[in-house]
Amino acid sequence: MVGGHALACDTVADSSRIAVAGGSLTEILYFLGAEDRIEAVDATSNYPDAAAGFPSVGYVRNLSAEGLLSLNPSLVLGENDMGPPEVLAQLRQTGVDVVRVPEEHTAAGIADKIRCVARVLGIDATQRIEQSIAPMLRSLAATPPSSCRVALLLGFRDGAPLAAGGDTSGDGLLRMAGAKNLFGDLEGWKPVSLEAMAYANPHYIVMPERGTAGAGGMDDMRGYGAIRLTQAGKRDNIVVMDGMAMLGFGPRTLRSAVRLADILAAGETTTCVL
Amino acid sequence: MNAIAEQLGLRRRRAFRTSLQGRRAVIVGCLALALAAALLLALGNGAVPISLAGLFGGEDDLGRTVLTELRSPRVLLAAFVGMGLALSGAVLQGLFRNPLTDPGLIGVSSGAALGAVAMIVLGSALAVPNALAQYLLPLAAIAGAALVTTCLFLFARRYGRFNIVTVLLVGIAVNAFAGVGIGAFQFLSDDAQLRTLTFWMMGSFGRASWPTVLPATALIGLGVLLLIRDVRGLDLVQLGESEARYLGVEVAALKRRLILASAVASGAGVAVAGMIGFVGLVVPHLVRLMGGASHRFVLPASALLGGVLTVSADLLARTVIVPAEIPVSLVTSAIGAPFFLWLITRVRTQ
Repeated sequence: MVGGHALACDTVADSSRIAVAGGSLTEILYFLGAEDRIEAVDATSNYPDAAAGFPSVGYVRNLSAEGLLSLNPSLVLGENDMGPPEVLAQLRQTGVDVVRVPEEHTAAGIADKIRCVARVLGIDATQRIEQSIAPMLRSLAATPPSSCRVALLLGFRDGAPLAAGGDTSGDGLLRMAGAKNLFGDLEGWKPVSLEAMAYANPHYIVMPERGTAGAGGMDDMRGYGAIRLTQAGKRDNIVVMDGMAMLGFGPRTLRSAVRLADILAAGETTTCVL
Repeated sequence: MNAIAEQLGLRRRRAFRTSLQGRRAVIVGCLALALAAALLLALGNGAVPISLAGLFGGEDDLGRTVLTELRSPRVLLAAFVGMGLALSGAVLQGLFRNPLTDPGLIGVSSGAALGAVAMIVLGSALAVPNALAQYLLPLAAIAGAALVTTCLFLFARRYGRFNIVTVLLVGIAVNAFAGVGIGAFQFLSDDAQLRTLTFWMMGSFGRASWPTVLPATALIGLGVLLLIRDVRGLDLVQLGESEARYLGVEVAALKRRLILASAVASGAGVAVAGMIGFVGLVVPHLVRLMGGASHRFVLPASALLGGVLTVSADLLARTVIVPAEIPVSLVTSAIGAPFFLWLITRVRTQ
């Protein structure tokens, strides 16, 4: 968007009172044991459950300058896509530190994000990363490319599935798990016709919980043409995960990728040879 | 006998007219007071508590910054956008003698949205210095509004000598065409751009800052001044276009002038605040229900009531779920719609 602001991970002078704009960042603050510095979180911060106890600053892309200032934060820590840019400019004008954490949809990108937040807060995260992040990175790096055809759907819009094309967070998750995104040639999240779904014929369909709920639950969804006509629908190979755990690109996304890689590995010799 | 009856009738009519005029003056006065009150309330309230003592004592630095840099431009913008939209709505409804007309009809909203979505999707490719970046989106929105309104203008003039039905129909066609452009850009946009666009469409005064608010309010002010001059012409047009022409109104010139001025008065607001629903369509009706259809009354009263509505809607939008905000269009309709219904039923039962 217009008005790009520099992304930086320099340690800020005062990180004692943080307003967080982004579910993955809240998750990372808890991961770093820095949750006592949180003053407020945004609407996408639904993990861990305790985060719901903080005041909500609204949606990450629709922040309010005065609303944030009323919490008297020393730092506004936001996701790559926080906004609107005009509001961020207003905040900077009043002297609040505003830090936008870079995001890359890869496993290394998640580790970088954690390191970045740690550096901004002036925390040494080496040990925590070595303990619980590095093993997952190694496991994903060792995952061989899967031969399964996989599609990631966000949900249904008027009965048509909204699929993750290339250059989306969904595509990133699939690549982390070693899977080839069936719709990787599309750009962005795109509605896909029933015919295209049937022709692509995925072995596995990956969906966020909210997507299945929006489709009327798993039972209703299995009846949808876009599901019923595919291998995944026929053999009930539909992988459902928490949306932020899949696509938030915090520590949990690594876990989701490992889980997805395990599922695909198990299906490699049975499901995916069909 | 006849003469006396005539005298009585005349007196009664005159009394009626003066009472109506008096009532209108009272209504306009009350609306002006209400606007002043709304402005003060809006400046004085918000997520950050500000005390007068702290302000003048010089201790409350945060309070002063919030008041001068965040709240003042925001409240000013809300007032001007409300005035511009309601006044344009009133003028266009009068001009087209159609109660369902609003500034959207002449392509202002869809054009501004087209410009905005084009800039959101394509703008990242432009290398622009940061100081200018904040103007890009408003400028693109204004350009889009001007483009679509000009198309409407040229088509309507060419095919049908600019009569009302032609303008309405061409308006529908041009709006539909702008809709195609918006849809195409939405399809091309990535996830982040799409969400930016969604929030832009919902409308908000929260993005207001002096560098964009000042030019926008100046433009809206200019449009308002141009619109408010033509009360007599608008009143005469109510009799029919040919009748107005016999009475010395240059109808074609009047239409050109008023459509362009409406585009300026509403377009500049849409460009910086996004889409604010309800105000342009319904505020003029509210005003007519209160004091009749004479434009000498409807125009100033609409402008004032429009300002009152947007300023108080914005106040609610930013104070109800602190520290987050509600989209302001939701609030304008939530306050406006029940009031409108109440007024309709009251007038019908009287």
